[in-house]
Amino acid sequence: MSAILQVRNLMLFYENAVAVNNVSMTVDRGQIVGVFGSNSAGKSSLMFCISGIILDVRRKEAMRGGERITLTGKIRFKDEDVLMVEPSERARKGIILCPERRLIFPESSTLENLKMGAYLANRAQAKKTLEYVLVLFPELKRIKRRAGGFLSGGEQQMLAIGRALMAQPELLLLDEPLLGLAPMIEKRLAHAIKEINEEKRITVAVAEQYARPVLPIIEYGYVLENGGLVAEGIGRELFENPDVKEAYFGL
Amino acid sequence: MDLFVYADVLLYGVVNGMTFFLMAVGFSFVYGISRLPNFAHGALYVVTGFITWSFMNNMGLPFWLSIAISLIIVSLAGMAIYQFVMIRVRGMPISEIIVSFAIALAILEGLRLQGIGGFKGFIGPGYVLPPFVDGVVSTPWVMIDIHRLLIIAVGLLILGFMWLFTRYHRIGLALKAMAQHERAALMLGINSDRMANFALAIGSGLAGIAAVAIMPLGNVNVESGYSVLTHAIAVCVIGGLGSWGGTLLAALTIGLATTVMSAFGGTMWNNVLVFGLIIFILIVRPSGLLGKQKELEERV
Repeated sequence: MSAILQVRNLMLFYENAVAVNNVSMTVDRGQIVGVFGSNSAGKSSLMFCISGIILDVRRKEAMRGGERITLTGKIRFKDEDVLMVEPSERARKGIILCPERRLIFPESSTLENLKMGAYLANRAQAKKTLEYVLVLFPELKRIKRRAGGFLSGGEQQMLAIGRALMAQPELLLLDEPLLGLAPMIEKRLAHAIKEINEEKRITVAVAEQYARPVLPIIEYGYVLENGGLVAEGIGRELFENPDVKEAYFGL
Repeated sequence: MDLFVYADVLLYGVVNGMTFFLMAVGFSFVYGISRLPNFAHGALYVVTGFITWSFMNNMGLPFWLSIAISLIIVSLAGMAIYQFVMIRVRGMPISEIIVSFAIALAILEGLRLQGIGGFKGFIGPGYVLPPFVDGVVSTPWVMIDIHRLLIIAVGLLILGFMWLFTRYHRIGLALKAMAQHERAALMLGINSDRMANFALAIGSGLAGIAAVAIMPLGNVNVESGYSVLTHAIAVCVIGGLGSWGGTLLAALTIGLATTVMSAFGGTMWNNVLVFGLIIFILIVRPSGLLGKQKELEERV
């Protein structure tokens, strides 16, 4: 199996505070990889680094004279160093981030949100993916015309994943997709993520605070603490590590 | 007989409303999409008038060709304003206003400069653009020139085009996405600088269309650059910044109100009315007539 994403010695600083500390990780093509950690462990920062959004954050900060953001290390995507590649260009290459708290376009309808996601897709891809999304999440059909801001959390998350799929990802980054959702919906979404991975052959990296709902679907997992990696392993092994078990699975 | 006066006022009021709409639509579009207050809007409007005039009278180009070239030039100018200047202050509203207003002042006052390279400066009443179509429609009730009717048509065409563009076109949808959440759009591969470039090009083009549609009613002069800007802002504030329906509603309201005022009260009250209306709206409905309330806040 070939690696689609290799992160090597990635460091991210906000001024002098370290947000991502010497992280190295590998995601193989076709895998589902989990990144776990408590609040402020650096999950979202890592996702921002991989998707390149951090460059946009950095530019905005620099412009308003805010925090100085420093980024070092290597991020290789499909054998190409993308550390300093603009986020929109990375999206074009196939890295799509489905962000924390979903960030649905609130004034646009469900259908329009999906269409907006298809910016990078050609007409045929857009049509095909739209059909696929509506099969994957039939709930969205009923609420096609409702404004994104009026959807429930679960509906919004389905829409956010669907919208990310419309952008034709090769590597789909999911940042806390289960945040604040009911256990029933958690299970439903975890299942959907597995389905996307298997049917569409899309590589997935999922960041979560609570590992339990996504543990059944991941093949490999990383545990972050204070920005650094503290444990990694294939799904079951990680689960059996006593330290990890105690700290992250509430057992 | 009285009824005829009312019909007259109503028709001219709608025409007047449409001219306000044309003045404001470009400004509203740019602000709605990229949150950039383009205070160079009025300057671009005036520039279109003068270069169209120059193409026709100095270079002898035909009317429609002059208009087409001017619109292209003014769109590119809008793009350049973003690409070379505004991009550096993006996200800082006060700097955006100061910078774009500085550009407006430089352009407008530059047009008045005399004596550089034999340039005589665009001063005086001699600069007049011809109407699209000469002629007058007269019915027993009202008499109106065809150009004024065409202004209504142009306004409606722009409205229809924009509606379709932001609903069905890939770039229109991307612009709308950008307006709602820039970073989320970025994650989907939408390049925010390129989109802002598009927005300014389209917005400036709309200012240009407004110029060639409205200027034949009077003459081409530098001062109108300032009044167009203030009226565009007035319409946008009253209608609700970034709202299409609001822009149209506010333009028609102001248009009808000022026409009624001119007919029965006297034109000197027009500006009092327009800017008094801003104060009134800001007191009763600070987000404007159809401005977006915070009802669609993100849910957790």
